[in-house]
Amino acid sequence: MIHAVFIFNTSGTPRLTKFYSPLKSPDLTTTIPQKIFKLVSSRPQGACNFLDVPDLDLTSELNINRSDNRLCIVYRNYATLYFVFVVDGAESELGMLDLIQVFVESLDRAFKNVCELDLVFHFDEVHAILAEIIQGGLVLETNVGEISRMVEEGYKARKASYAAANPLSLSGGVMGGMSRGGNSNVSTPLSSFQSPIGWLTERIAGLNAR
Amino acid sequence: MWERTLQDLIRGLRANKTDERKFIQQAIEEIRREVRGKDMELKAGAILKMTFLDMLGYDLTWANFNIIEVMSSQKYHLKTIGYLAASQSFSEHTDVLMLTTNLLKKDLSSTPADVALALNGLSHFVTPDLARDLTQELNAMLNHSRAHIRKRVVLALFKVIQQHPDALPYCLPRLKEKLEDPDASVVSSTVNLFCELSRRNPQDFLILAPPLFHILTTSSNNWMLIKVIKLFGAISPFEPRLVKKLQDPITDLIQTTSAISLLYECVHTCIVGGMLEGTSGLPLARLCVTKLSGFLENDDQNLKFIAMMAMVKIVPIRPDLVAEHQAVILNSLDDFDISIRMRALDLISSMVTSHNAQFLVQQLLSHLVKASEKSETLPSASESLSRAVVAAPNTAPTFTTAYRLEVATRVIDMCSRNMYENVRDFDWYLSVLLDLIYVANADVASIVREQLMDVVIRVKACRAYAVKLMTKLLDDDALVLGANDPTKCTGVLWAAAWICGEYCDDLSDPRYALMRLVIPSIALLPADIISIYLQSAVKVLSRWLIGLSEEWSDEQLPQVKSIVATVLEGFQRFVSHADVEVQER
Repeated sequence: MIHAVFIFNTSGTPRLTKFYSPLKSPDLTTTIPQKIFKLVSSRPQGACNFLDVPDLDLTSELNINRSDNRLCIVYRNYATLYFVFVVDGAESELGMLDLIQVFVESLDRAFKNVCELDLVFHFDEVHAILAEIIQGGLVLETNVGEISRMVEEGYKARKASYAAANPLSLSGGVMGGMSRGGNSNVSTPLSSFQSPIGWLTERIAGLNAR
Repeated sequence: MWERTLQDLIRGLRANKTDERKFIQQAIEEIRREVRGKDMELKAGAILKMTFLDMLGYDLTWANFNIIEVMSSQKYHLKTIGYLAASQSFSEHTDVLMLTTNLLKKDLSSTPADVALALNGLSHFVTPDLARDLTQELNAMLNHSRAHIRKRVVLALFKVIQQHPDALPYCLPRLKEKLEDPDASVVSSTVNLFCELSRRNPQDFLILAPPLFHILTTSSNNWMLIKVIKLFGAISPFEPRLVKKLQDPITDLIQTTSAISLLYECVHTCIVGGMLEGTSGLPLARLCVTKLSGFLENDDQNLKFIAMMAMVKIVPIRPDLVAEHQAVILNSLDDFDISIRMRALDLISSMVTSHNAQFLVQQLLSHLVKASEKSETLPSASESLSRAVVAAPNTAPTFTTAYRLEVATRVIDMCSRNMYENVRDFDWYLSVLLDLIYVANADVASIVREQLMDVVIRVKACRAYAVKLMTKLLDDDALVLGANDPTKCTGVLWAAAWICGEYCDDLSDPRYALMRLVIPSIALLPADIISIYLQSAVKVLSRWLIGLSEEWSDEQLPQVKSIVATVLEGFQRFVSHADVEVQER
């Protein structure tokens, strides 16, 4: 199963933390991502996207049955963000790499050319999207079209519910809509990572997206 | 007057980067006030803000009761916020969970959107009690009209079964039906569930073999195939006939698939199921190794990594096939990527046999030499090593101490495995151990010391050579002076002194050894080493005196007197040493 999902930026600030295994103590919710960030940010360009973590000893921190064997970190770097999945031996490593790509594409479809600030201002939406992909540490859906459809449904339902509760409001307040949250900075879009077709072709030819 | 929404909180945070802590404390105060109010919108907004702050490290659990309030709202957009906070904050030990049973039951029979929320939340915080209460309901929901819900129920059952194992036999019949669900993603989730569960009790899932086999031969979805193969890998050791049946489809897959992830799983299952063994397994094994070696030479680091992992699994069964690719593997040792290097290390340590042990160990040692930042003069006994030092380029990447320690440990492990079955020449092994001291630049002192002692005590024949090497060690001032520097491995002097003392029969020049054992600079050494030194000095002295007494002549008397005097002088210095052991000596 997948034990944790993190998104953090190149300075180490967490943008999303999701644990699917119970933690030994609450302060681990920040220390684990920090440790992983240190490891991941010191990787040279072109290195493979997998890391074993014997020295991190995550198994005890995550309260995992040790006989369940090793934990592996699968990560990808897109623009200013690191997407990190912590998985155990039950998951295929290359499959997880694909899954990260699926996650990012779903984000892209939901936010229309997603960038880091979208993740900051709409972190609840990001959680909702992740929930359409992984539930309880197991993969729920891998097809981007299907995921986006469910995300869209959920978004519409929330909007409808909000409108019903606040008939006089404009799009603002708790929901905030899918807008960019009023930032004026120009931010790097994540779509520099290639379209699905291009990525798939590259994969078959044995090259890496990044 | 600020508007208390998530957006404003975030904007405020970004504006107040300098006094962030203070800003957040104020925000939390604000949140505390808001959750106590009656307005559900306000409450939910506050919880959402707090959930955001939870990600930054601020405790959310004080608001647990309020979270439940928000979860029980009938309005979908508020309920979502409640469940999100719950999944971030609750664990199976949260006591307010007792209040959620009815809420969950209500949500589970409500609109599909609510059901999805409840199932997702359940997967995060289900307790044994909740699991027990909801099993029946969840089992019924396996036949829900919507595929999306069926998927979620299947996956939620994983956590439920973990908390309440009796749920499995209860739900198993329906779950088995789900393997033939018309919707492919439901089937996929079911396979996923079984794959996870089978890691604990594989035999229980043998009954699933027929439908799984059907999926294996008809599906083209790589995700599903990977899980199915993994599942077969878990259950086939318990059913030999299954292994025979699987051989064909798996061979087929290996030959046709372009997805290396699937290839790796097939190889893994072949190994686990014993399909690569014996003469019948040879063509399949050859096929696997050929495919894998292709990936090893690929530029893509990820493919290299996976290929190596698979090779490691094959080595115990078909070492000869893997040995054909030894050169590539040794090259990977120099890869700049530590993950690849670790895999290469794994491979090499499992490839070692008594024939290639010397060669492989030399390779690893020269690799370590390149790894050291400076090349020092090495008084080593191994000639190939000195050749490597001369030729060592300065372009090698700097390796961490932990990595070097790992390499050194592997070398020792490779040689000492199974009572040294891989070592033919113990003299050579002793010199290797010494080289490690000088080359590793990491704290290998204790493991080398252990090995030295072990080998010397067990293997009589090498004792003479050992004593020769040890005197060389004793001779090395750098080791003594470097007592505080762990990379110098001074700890090994303990072994050196002890060996010289114990087997002083083999000392070619006992007087010289004696001198080395009592020189003033040994005061720099840690106390336990000093005590061994003193003890050995006494042994050597007595041995030498005995030797002398066999051919006594008067002119030797002044010599003896001077030596004894020097030794006594040496000892005097330590009479008042801080450590009791030393004093005792």
